[in-house]
Amino acid sequence: MKQILSTKYLPFISIFSLIALIPLVISKDQYAMVLVTTVLLYAVLASAWNIIGGMAGQLDLGAGAYIGLGAFTTGTLLTRWNITPWIGMFIGGFVSVSFAILIGLPLFRFKIKELWYALTSSALVEVLRIVFLMWDEVGGPTEKYLPGGGDNALYSLRFSTYIPYFYIILIFLVIVIYLNHRIRNSKLGFSLLALGEDEDAAEVLGVDARGNKLKALMIYSFIVGTVGGLYACLYGFLHPSFFSTEISTEVVILGIVGGMGITYGPFLAAIFLVSFREYLRAALGGELAGLYLAVYAVVLIVVALFQPRGIAPLFRRLFEKVIRSLGGREHESSAKASS
Amino acid sequence: MLLKISNLNAGYGKVPVLHECTLEVNEHETVTVIGPNGAGKSTLLKTITGLVKAMSGQIVFQDEEIATLSTDQIIRKGIAFVPEGGRPFPNMTVLDNLRMGAFTKRENLKNGVIDELFALFPVLKKRSNQYARTLSGGERQMLAIARGLISRPKLLMLDEPSLGLAPKLVDEIYEKIRMLKESGLTVLLIEQNTSYALELADRGYVLENGHIIMTGACAELSSSDHIRKAYLGI
Repeated sequence: MKQILSTKYLPFISIFSLIALIPLVISKDQYAMVLVTTVLLYAVLASAWNIIGGMAGQLDLGAGAYIGLGAFTTGTLLTRWNITPWIGMFIGGFVSVSFAILIGLPLFRFKIKELWYALTSSALVEVLRIVFLMWDEVGGPTEKYLPGGGDNALYSLRFSTYIPYFYIILIFLVIVIYLNHRIRNSKLGFSLLALGEDEDAAEVLGVDARGNKLKALMIYSFIVGTVGGLYACLYGFLHPSFFSTEISTEVVILGIVGGMGITYGPFLAAIFLVSFREYLRAALGGELAGLYLAVYAVVLIVVALFQPRGIAPLFRRLFEKVIRSLGGREHESSAKASS
Repeated sequence: MLLKISNLNAGYGKVPVLHECTLEVNEHETVTVIGPNGAGKSTLLKTITGLVKAMSGQIVFQDEEIATLSTDQIIRKGIAFVPEGGRPFPNMTVLDNLRMGAFTKRENLKNGVIDELFALFPVLKKRSNQYARTLSGGERQMLAIARGLISRPKLLMLDEPSLGLAPKLVDEIYEKIRMLKESGLTVLLIEQNTSYALELADRGYVLENGHIIMTGACAELSSSDHIRKAYLGI
């Protein structure tokens, strides 16, 4: 407790306290609530991806698969056996982990990496989507609506406003970012960073490539699967389109644009890119369908050209500048010493 | 005997690169393997570290068969491998690279091993907070060697430490390797730069087309007609 209260975590705590106040200001505006909730949801997914993608350097395109698995597990448990999603989403997380192990073991065993890993994880999304499309008892082509809501809202996690979801996802985000921070400074984190940089060189220093990559994949798929359960409750129905390659790609884009392996990177990218994209969609959607994606693509190209290491380092520099201009002599000297 | 390789066959996929190779390294000895491009020199080191799996034959390190172990398990036995070009982690600082080197022996971070290495490679101390990607070729090679040494290995394996370096830097790197040798470290050195390798090492093996065609003390090898003609150009 003492450690958490120390100044080291002060920016962390103050930023998230500020975010927690957002609904107080905009709770009347349904669209704004959807927007901030979506931003946080993507921030959680991209921060989880940071572990396998940003740190371990595996271009995982399987987020959609784990979201779908989590959603269908949670939703089916609720519909069939009336098991609350509060438990169901964690079971969904474990189901995702078991699928992750199923593909991770052979992939890492036979040293399938980089592009081939990306393609395989991407295929998992599409395969599962088709399986669930054909599997009528659980999936099928029509939406399966989740029961609950009303008096039962808390048990079935089916609220009529976005505010409860906002706070649940915010708690998830705090946990996932804290987890990122802890992993980053642990032996696992160093192993993953080294594997991401140069796998052979890491192995000849004694890093167990297979075990560490599998650990990263398991943590990532558990988080994404759990969020998938929440996703089902948020939308109130199940549909095979939850196994979405679009979401997978979006998660990867946020992870890369934020800055590979940087704890706050995906979170920053989600704030700016997701809200920017949604703003474009609202502003340009009426003019010409798809135009917002073209503009979005231009922004991505600009980032790739001028900030190839992601936007997080840019923010760090800005942050340091602000602190220095506020007259923090202490910071100035410590910054000089470290540079 | 520290390392004993007998009748080793290894390669990529179904294509063998090494044929029935037999090689020994005794403690406190510096052994070099020389040979032309594509002879299988790097494959030999990669097979010892388990990056390439042996098809048949034995690799015994300290009386223990290691050919079936995984790379990280082999490294933990006390072998350090400096791959071709050094390959430090570019987006980590020099200090973090060294820390990664102590991955299997974390206690060495505290008991002064880093200071010893900084004494051997003063330039690394100067650069310790710099990213490895900003280092020059020679500095990268020194960082890679230091990264290998920090675990205090029983056997140091170097893959072409002179590759791509200016002659003056090659001299400098070999001076460091000589110091390590004189301190009693066992070294297995793979080199295309034959004259440097034969001058430094105690014994040598000549690898051509995956076959060990010649072995002996370095003085003997340097005076053999084949070596003089094919490698030393005399």
